[in-house]
Amino acid sequence: MNFRDVELLSAYLDGQLSPSDSIRLESRLASDQNLQAVMDDLRTARGLLRQLPQRRVPHNFTLTTKMAGLKAPELRVYPVFRLATVVAALLFMFTFVVNKFAPIETIHLSAAQAPASGMGGGCNNCGPAEAAPAATEAPVQPFAAPAPTEVLPSTQDNSRNLTPSTQQITPKAAVPPPVINQPSPIPSEAPVPLSWQISIGIIAVICGAAAWFLRLRSEREFQKRWNKK
Amino acid sequence: MDEFALIQSAQHGDLDAFNSLVLAYQDNLFNTALRILNDEELAADATQDAFLSAFRSINSFRGGSFKAWLMRTVTNACYDELRRKKRRPTTPLEPEGSDGDEMDAPRWLADPALTPERQLEADELEHAIQHCLDHLPMEFRTVVVMADLQGLDYSDVAVATHTPLGTIKSRLARARLRLRECLQGFRELLPAAFRLQEEPTR
Repeated sequence: MNFRDVELLSAYLDGQLSPSDSIRLESRLASDQNLQAVMDDLRTARGLLRQLPQRRVPHNFTLTTKMAGLKAPELRVYPVFRLATVVAALLFMFTFVVNKFAPIETIHLSAAQAPASGMGGGCNNCGPAEAAPAATEAPVQPFAAPAPTEVLPSTQDNSRNLTPSTQQITPKAAVPPPVINQPSPIPSEAPVPLSWQISIGIIAVICGAAAWFLRLRSEREFQKRWNKK
Repeated sequence: MDEFALIQSAQHGDLDAFNSLVLAYQDNLFNTALRILNDEELAADATQDAFLSAFRSINSFRGGSFKAWLMRTVTNACYDELRRKKRRPTTPLEPEGSDGDEMDAPRWLADPALTPERQLEADELEHAIQHCLDHLPMEFRTVVVMADLQGLDYSDVAVATHTPLGTIKSRLARARLRLRECLQGFRELLPAAFRLQEEPTR
């Protein structure tokens, strides 16, 4: 008897032999006592194993959502609010960037306007409050700085040579009223008005809060559902 | 709900459906792990790991025997536990008595349906069989536990162990042969029916 015979016996016990192999083995078993003895021993071993009691499980092995790594399902509107928050926040930052660089251009304009208004004969009717911005803003731009100092004397000289009647007419003709009455250039000429910025900021905050609230609520409902089970 | 429907629901992330499958198979997986590892705590850890791993990879199940597929996950978990155990040896399962010796049949493993004498005999026999199982190489032990303790057929054992069918037949025969030799040392523990069966063979 060799190991091949043991394999055949083992498979025969489990009913894994083909009918022809089974018949052949059965005829050998009838004539070979040694083979029969091994067969009985294998059957005993197999029978003992099958009789081993099944132990009860110490606890249930069911998985919790935490163990399984499951997350609360998102509500359908959640991605909309999340996207709106991101877009509004980006727009909000964009308006700041735009407004940060825009005042430089407005100063350029105001500096360029300063000689134009000065060449027109100055602004005698302008009060100190109106003249002051040009004088204070001028040093910001290096090329614009001399403008008031150069222009103002000439306008003063011109005004001295003019008759009182012309003194009264010239400023009106040179400096049109809209320019004189123009408000302070920086806030009014900002590309994105402050009200828009505030609105975009509010939209970003509201959408963010709504997205956070929806997420929180779905997570709480998800947990509540699982805690009930 | 039948098993196929539960598997399909679990594949769509339904944890309730998966937990129904867990309840159906946890006895099989735990007992397989217990016989392979011979340590209740390690077997419980391996079973839990196996179910967790099964849930994460349930989409890789493509039909066939779900029990065999689960058996593969628990076998892998048992191998992991054994590797971990080798790195960090722990105290043995059997609690120690007052004299410091291991108790062969701890009270908490006892079956209340048996008389104390029969319980003692059953415990001793079980301990002897487990002793013989422990002395089998791991791959032989796994095959014999699945085929003889869990009643899986050869093809399912082949799936569960990722081994060719011919190898399963060979391993099972070798495992039974070794168990036969080992159990001869515990002849006095064998039930009368088995002893009578063996008498004429000697």
